[in-house]
Amino acid sequence: MTILLLTLIILLAVFALFSSDLLHGVVAMSAISLSCAILFYILEAPDVAITEAAVGAGVSTVIFVWALRHSQRKDDRHE
Amino acid sequence: MNDGKTAWRNIRIFASLVLIGAVMAPIFLSDASWPVTARDYLMAQGQAESGAVNLVSAIYLGYRAFDTLGETIVLLIAVTGTLSLLARVESLVSPGPEDTSSPNAKGFSLSLEKRVSHALRTNLLEEVTGKVGPIVLLFGFYVMLYGHLSPGGGFQGGVIIASGIVFLALGNPYEDKSVLVRPAILGGMENIAFLLFILSAMSGVFLGEGFFGNPLAVSGTPEGFIILMNCIIGMKVGSSLAFMCIVMMGGANHD
Repeated sequence: MTILLLTLIILLAVFALFSSDLLHGVVAMSAISLSCAILFYILEAPDVAITEAAVGAGVSTVIFVWALRHSQRKDDRHE
Repeated sequence: MNDGKTAWRNIRIFASLVLIGAVMAPIFLSDASWPVTARDYLMAQGQAESGAVNLVSAIYLGYRAFDTLGETIVLLIAVTGTLSLLARVESLVSPGPEDTSSPNAKGFSLSLEKRVSHALRTNLLEEVTGKVGPIVLLFGFYVMLYGHLSPGGGFQGGVIIASGIVFLALGNPYEDKSVLVRPAILGGMENIAFLLFILSAMSGVFLGEGFFGNPLAVSGTPEGFIILMNCIIGMKVGSSLAFMCIVMMGGANHD
Protein backbone atom coordinates (compact mmCIF):
# COMPACT_ATOMS: atom_id res chain seq x y z
CA MET A 1 0.00 0.00 0.00
CA THR A 2 2.79 2.40 0.90
CA ILE A 3 4.67 1.54 -2.29
CA LEU A 4 1.49 2.04 -4.30
CA LEU A 5 0.86 5.47 -2.78
CA LEU A 6 4.48 6.55 -3.26
CA THR A 7 4.38 5.49 -6.91
CA LEU A 8 1.13 7.40 -7.36
CA ILE A 9 2.68 10.50 -5.80
CA ILE A 10 5.70 10.33 -8.11
CA LEU A 11 3.51 9.82 -11.18
CA LEU A 12 1.26 12.72 -10.23
CA ALA A 13 4.29 14.93 -9.59
CA VAL A 14 5.72 14.14 -13.02
CA PHE A 15 2.32 14.85 -14.56
CA ALA A 16 2.10 18.18 -12.70
CA LEU A 17 5.53 19.14 -14.01
CA PHE A 18 4.85 18.23 -17.63
CA SER A 19 1.19 19.20 -18.06
CA SER A 20 0.75 22.19 -20.30
CA ASP A 21 -2.57 23.24 -18.76
CA LEU A 22 -1.92 24.85 -15.40
CA LEU A 23 -5.33 23.83 -14.07
CA HIS A 24 -4.48 20.16 -14.63
CA GLY A 25 -1.26 20.71 -12.72
CA VAL A 26 -3.14 22.27 -9.81
CA VAL A 27 -5.54 19.33 -9.66
CA ALA A 28 -2.61 16.92 -9.78
CA MET A 29 -0.95 18.74 -6.88
CA SER A 30 -4.17 18.54 -4.90
CA ALA A 31 -4.25 14.79 -5.56
CA ILE A 32 -0.63 14.56 -4.38
CA SER A 33 -1.63 16.20 -1.11
CA LEU A 34 -4.53 13.80 -0.70
CA SER A 35 -2.30 10.76 -1.29
CA CYS A 36 0.24 12.20 1.14
CA ALA A 37 -2.50 12.58 3.75
CA ILE A 38 -3.53 8.94 3.31
CA LEU A 39 0.13 7.94 3.52
CA PHE A 40 0.63 9.91 6.75
CA TYR A 41 -2.45 8.28 8.20
CA ILE A 42 -1.18 4.82 7.31
CA LEU A 43 2.16 5.68 8.91
CA GLU A 44 0.31 6.60 12.14
CA ALA A 45 0.74 10.35 12.04
CA PRO A 46 -2.89 11.53 12.07
CA ASP A 47 -1.92 15.05 13.14
CA VAL A 48 0.13 15.57 10.03
CA ALA A 49 -2.56 13.90 7.93
CA ILE A 50 -5.20 16.41 9.10
CA THR A 51 -2.90 19.32 8.37
CA GLU A 52 -1.86 17.99 4.97
CA ALA A 53 -5.45 17.36 3.91
CA ALA A 54 -6.67 20.75 5.10
CA VAL A 55 -3.78 22.88 3.88
CA GLY A 56 -2.51 20.96 0.86
CA ALA A 57 -5.69 19.65 -0.65
CA GLY A 58 -7.96 22.46 0.53
CA VAL A 59 -6.57 25.92 1.04
CA SER A 60 -3.63 25.87 -1.36
CA THR A 61 -5.78 24.47 -4.18
CA VAL A 62 -8.32 27.22 -3.65
CA ILE A 63 -5.57 29.84 -3.71
CA PHE A 64 -3.98 28.39 -6.87
CA VAL A 65 -7.32 28.23 -8.66
CA TRP A 66 -8.06 31.79 -7.59
CA ALA A 67 -4.71 32.94 -9.00
CA LEU A 68 -5.35 31.04 -12.24
CA ARG A 69 -8.77 32.61 -12.65
CA HIS A 70 -7.30 36.07 -12.39
CA SER A 71 -4.39 35.51 -14.72
CA GLN A 72 -4.36 35.51 -18.50
CA ARG A 73 -3.69 32.38 -20.49
CA LYS A 74 -0.58 32.51 -22.58
CA ASP A 75 0.59 29.54 -24.57
CA ASP A 76 3.38 29.86 -27.08
CA ARG A 77 2.66 26.49 -28.68
CA HIS A 78 -1.02 26.85 -29.51
CA GLU A 79 -0.97 30.43 -30.63
CA MET B 1 13.39 26.06 -32.88
CA ASN B 2 10.42 25.16 -30.75
CA ASP B 3 11.42 21.51 -30.60
CA GLY B 4 14.91 22.48 -29.54
CA LYS B 5 13.49 24.57 -26.73
CA THR B 6 11.29 21.71 -25.53
CA ALA B 7 14.18 19.25 -25.64
CA TRP B 8 16.39 21.64 -23.69
CA ARG B 9 13.62 22.05 -21.10
CA ASN B 10 13.26 18.28 -20.76
CA ILE B 11 17.02 17.88 -20.41
CA ARG B 12 17.05 20.46 -17.63
CA ILE B 13 14.17 18.76 -15.81
CA PHE B 14 15.83 15.36 -15.99
CA ALA B 15 19.15 16.82 -14.86
CA SER B 16 17.51 18.36 -11.83
CA LEU B 17 15.79 15.06 -11.03
CA VAL B 18 19.13 13.25 -11.19
CA LEU B 19 20.70 15.89 -8.93
CA ILE B 20 17.88 15.57 -6.41
CA GLY B 21 18.37 11.79 -6.46
CA ALA B 22 22.09 12.23 -5.85
CA VAL B 23 21.37 14.46 -2.87
CA MET B 24 18.76 12.13 -1.39
CA ALA B 25 20.59 8.86 -2.03
CA PRO B 26 22.81 8.93 1.10
CA ILE B 27 19.71 9.29 3.26
CA PHE B 28 18.17 6.13 1.83
CA LEU B 29 21.39 4.15 1.64
CA SER B 30 22.80 4.87 5.08
CA ASP B 31 22.64 2.30 7.85
CA ALA B 32 22.97 4.71 10.77
CA SER B 33 20.43 4.06 13.50
CA TRP B 34 17.94 6.70 14.47
CA PRO B 35 18.75 8.86 17.49
CA VAL B 36 16.68 7.53 20.35
CA THR B 37 17.60 9.63 23.40
CA ALA B 38 14.96 12.32 23.02
CA ARG B 39 12.35 9.80 21.90
CA ASP B 40 12.87 7.56 24.91
CA TYR B 41 12.84 10.50 27.30
CA LEU B 42 9.60 11.84 25.82
CA MET B 43 7.95 8.44 25.87
CA ALA B 44 8.86 7.99 29.53
CA GLN B 45 8.42 11.50 30.94
CA GLY B 46 6.40 13.55 28.45
CA GLN B 47 2.93 12.64 29.60
CA ALA B 48 3.70 13.14 33.28
CA GLU B 49 5.47 16.45 32.71
CA SER B 50 3.02 18.08 30.32
CA GLY B 51 -0.21 16.27 31.10
CA ALA B 52 -0.95 15.76 27.41
CA VAL B 53 -1.82 12.31 26.11
CA ASN B 54 -1.09 13.50 22.59
CA LEU B 55 2.68 13.89 22.79
CA VAL B 56 2.85 15.90 19.58
CA SER B 57 1.05 18.82 21.19
CA ALA B 58 3.17 18.38 24.31
CA ILE B 59 6.24 18.86 22.14
CA TYR B 60 5.13 21.79 20.02
CA LEU B 61 3.59 23.74 22.89
CA GLY B 62 5.89 22.64 25.68
CA TYR B 63 9.35 21.45 24.78
CA ARG B 64 9.67 23.22 21.43
CA ALA B 65 7.38 26.21 21.94
CA PHE B 66 9.86 28.60 20.37
CA ASP B 67 9.27 26.85 17.04
CA THR B 68 5.58 27.52 17.43
CA LEU B 69 6.28 31.21 17.99
CA GLY B 70 8.33 31.19 14.79
CA GLU B 71 5.56 29.47 12.88
CA THR B 72 2.95 32.00 13.97
CA ILE B 73 5.29 34.82 12.93
CA VAL B 74 5.75 33.13 9.53
CA LEU B 75 1.97 32.98 9.16
CA LEU B 76 1.66 36.65 10.12
CA ILE B 77 4.26 37.62 7.51
CA ALA B 78 2.53 35.47 4.88
CA VAL B 79 -0.81 37.19 5.50
CA THR B 80 0.82 40.63 5.49
CA GLY B 81 2.62 39.90 2.24
CA THR B 82 -0.52 38.58 0.59
CA LEU B 83 -2.48 41.66 1.59
CA SER B 84 0.18 44.07 0.36
CA LEU B 85 0.43 42.19 -2.95
CA LEU B 86 -3.36 42.22 -3.29
CA ALA B 87 -3.54 45.93 -2.57
CA ARG B 88 -0.93 46.63 -5.25
CA VAL B 89 -2.24 44.44 -8.04
CA GLU B 90 -5.92 44.99 -7.33
CA SER B 91 -6.27 47.13 -10.44
CA LEU B 92 -4.88 44.25 -12.51
CA VAL B 93 -6.71 41.34 -10.95
CA SER B 94 -10.24 42.69 -10.86
CA PRO B 95 -11.12 42.99 -14.51
CA GLY B 96 -14.62 42.66 -15.81
CA PRO B 97 -16.98 45.60 -16.16
CA GLU B 98 -19.64 44.06 -13.96
CA ASP B 99 -17.50 43.89 -10.84
CA THR B 100 -16.12 47.37 -10.51
CA SER B 101 -19.02 49.73 -10.83
CA SER B 102 -21.49 48.61 -8.21
CA PRO B 103 -21.30 49.08 -4.46
CA ASN B 104 -22.18 45.41 -4.03
CA ALA B 105 -18.70 44.34 -5.09
CA LYS B 106 -17.56 45.13 -1.56
CA GLY B 107 -18.53 41.87 0.08
CA PHE B 108 -18.09 38.24 -0.72
CA SER B 109 -21.57 37.60 -2.02
CA LEU B 110 -22.96 38.89 -5.23
CA SER B 111 -26.38 40.40 -5.42
CA LEU B 112 -29.21 38.31 -6.75
CA GLU B 113 -29.32 39.49 -10.35
CA LYS B 114 -25.56 39.07 -10.72
CA ARG B 115 -25.47 35.63 -9.24
CA VAL B 116 -27.35 34.27 -12.23
CA SER B 117 -24.47 35.13 -14.51
CA HIS B 118 -21.72 34.15 -12.12
CA ALA B 119 -20.59 30.61 -12.70
CA LEU B 120 -19.05 30.08 -9.27
CA ARG B 121 -22.19 30.88 -7.32
CA THR B 122 -24.88 28.33 -7.89
CA ASN B 123 -27.85 27.40 -5.78
CA LEU B 124 -26.28 24.04 -5.04
CA LEU B 125 -23.07 25.57 -3.71
CA GLU B 126 -24.97 28.08 -1.64
CA GLU B 127 -27.30 25.58 -0.01
CA VAL B 128 -24.62 22.99 0.71
CA THR B 129 -21.95 25.33 2.06
CA GLY B 130 -24.44 27.28 4.14
CA LYS B 131 -25.59 24.14 5.89
CA VAL B 132 -22.24 22.37 6.13
CA GLY B 133 -20.40 25.46 7.40
CA PRO B 134 -21.57 25.35 11.06
CA ILE B 135 -20.81 21.62 11.26
CA VAL B 136 -17.30 22.16 9.92
CA LEU B 137 -16.89 24.98 12.43
CA LEU B 138 -17.96 22.69 15.27
CA PHE B 139 -15.53 19.99 14.15
CA GLY B 140 -12.76 22.57 14.04
CA PHE B 141 -13.50 23.60 17.62
CA TYR B 142 -13.45 19.94 18.65
CA VAL B 143 -10.06 19.33 17.03
CA MET B 144 -8.74 22.51 18.64
CA LEU B 145 -10.07 21.97 22.18
CA TYR B 146 -9.16 18.29 22.41
CA GLY B 147 -5.71 18.72 20.88
CA HIS B 148 -4.05 17.47 24.07
CA LEU B 149 -6.00 14.19 24.04
CA SER B 150 -6.64 13.26 20.41
CA PRO B 151 -4.84 13.98 17.14
CA GLY B 152 -5.10 17.61 16.23
CA GLY B 153 -4.33 20.86 17.94
CA GLY B 154 -4.30 24.57 17.34
CA PHE B 155 -2.96 24.60 13.81
CA GLN B 156 -5.13 21.79 12.51
CA GLY B 157 -8.25 23.04 14.25
CA GLY B 158 -7.52 26.56 13.06
CA VAL B 159 -7.32 25.50 9.44
CA ILE B 160 -10.60 23.60 9.76
CA ILE B 161 -12.21 26.64 11.41
CA ALA B 162 -10.95 28.80 8.56
CA SER B 163 -12.56 26.55 5.97
CA GLY B 164 -15.77 26.61 8.03
CA ILE B 165 -15.75 30.40 7.97
CA VAL B 166 -15.13 30.38 4.21
CA PHE B 167 -18.06 27.97 3.84
CA LEU B 168 -20.24 30.34 5.86
CA ALA B 169 -19.20 33.20 3.62
CA LEU B 170 -19.89 31.19 0.47
CA GLY B 171 -23.29 30.00 1.65
CA ASN B 172 -24.44 33.40 2.76
CA PRO B 173 -26.74 34.92 0.17
CA TYR B 174 -27.02 38.30 1.85
CA GLU B 175 -24.39 40.87 2.64
CA ASP B 176 -22.72 40.62 6.03
CA LYS B 177 -25.30 38.35 7.58
CA SER B 178 -22.75 36.77 9.87
CA VAL B 179 -20.25 38.81 11.83
CA LEU B 180 -17.61 36.11 11.36
CA VAL B 181 -17.23 36.67 7.63
CA ARG B 182 -16.42 40.38 7.92
CA PRO B 183 -12.75 40.94 7.12
CA ALA B 184 -12.38 43.76 9.67
CA ILE B 185 -13.59 41.52 12.51
CA LEU B 186 -11.31 38.68 11.40
CA GLY B 187 -8.31 41.00 11.24
CA GLY B 188 -9.04 42.26 14.73
CA MET B 189 -9.38 38.70 16.01
CA GLU B 190 -5.98 37.85 14.58
CA ASN B 191 -4.33 40.83 16.26
CA ILE B 192 -5.92 40.02 19.62
CA ALA B 193 -4.90 36.37 19.30
CA PHE B 194 -1.27 37.27 18.66
CA LEU B 195 -1.25 39.63 21.65
CA LEU B 196 -2.78 36.90 23.84
CA PHE B 197 -0.20 34.42 22.53
CA ILE B 198 2.72 36.64 23.57
CA LEU B 199 1.10 37.43 26.93
CA SER B 200 0.47 33.79 27.78
CA ALA B 201 3.97 32.89 26.62
CA MET B 202 5.31 35.44 29.09
CA SER B 203 3.04 34.31 31.92
CA GLY B 204 5.51 31.63 32.99
CA VAL B 205 8.18 34.26 33.60
CA PHE B 206 6.44 35.56 36.71
CA LEU B 207 6.27 32.07 38.23
CA GLY B 208 9.92 31.28 37.67
CA GLU B 209 9.41 28.98 34.70
CA GLY B 210 10.99 31.15 32.04
CA PHE B 211 9.74 32.33 28.66
CA PHE B 212 7.24 29.79 27.31
CA GLY B 213 7.48 27.93 30.59
CA ASN B 214 4.33 26.24 31.79
CA PRO B 215 2.89 28.36 34.63
CA LEU B 216 0.83 25.37 35.78
CA ALA B 217 3.82 23.00 35.85
CA VAL B 218 3.76 22.44 39.61
CA SER B 219 0.00 22.33 39.93
CA GLY B 220 -2.04 19.21 39.39
CA THR B 221 -3.28 20.12 35.93
CA PRO B 222 -0.34 21.01 33.69
CA GLU B 223 -2.42 20.36 30.56
CA GLY B 224 -4.38 23.57 31.14
CA PHE B 225 -1.58 25.60 29.59
CA ILE B 226 -1.62 23.42 26.47
CA ILE B 227 -5.39 23.81 26.12
CA LEU B 228 -5.07 27.60 26.46
CA MET B 229 -2.28 27.81 23.89
CA ASN B 230 -4.18 25.53 21.51
CA CYS B 231 -7.22 27.81 21.71
CA ILE B 232 -5.15 30.94 21.08
CA ILE B 233 -3.26 29.40 18.16
CA GLY B 234 -6.48 28.04 16.68
CA MET B 235 -8.07 31.47 16.89
CA LYS B 236 -5.05 33.08 15.25
CA VAL B 237 -4.64 30.53 12.44
CA GLY B 238 -8.35 30.33 11.75
CA SER B 239 -8.94 34.07 11.62
CA SER B 240 -5.85 34.82 9.55
CA LEU B 241 -6.46 32.11 6.95
CA ALA B 242 -10.15 32.98 6.67
CA PHE B 243 -9.20 36.66 6.44
CA MET B 244 -6.80 35.90 3.59
CA CYS B 245 -9.28 33.76 1.65
CA ILE B 246 -12.19 36.15 2.06
CA VAL B 247 -10.17 39.19 1.10
CA MET B 248 -8.75 37.36 -1.92
CA MET B 249 -12.17 36.32 -3.16
CA GLY B 250 -14.03 39.48 -2.24
CA GLY B 251 -11.62 42.08 -3.51
CA ALA B 252 -9.36 44.44 -1.63
CA ASN B 253 -11.94 47.03 -0.61
CA HIS B 254 -12.58 45.12 2.54
CA ASP B 255 -13.29 47.58 5.31
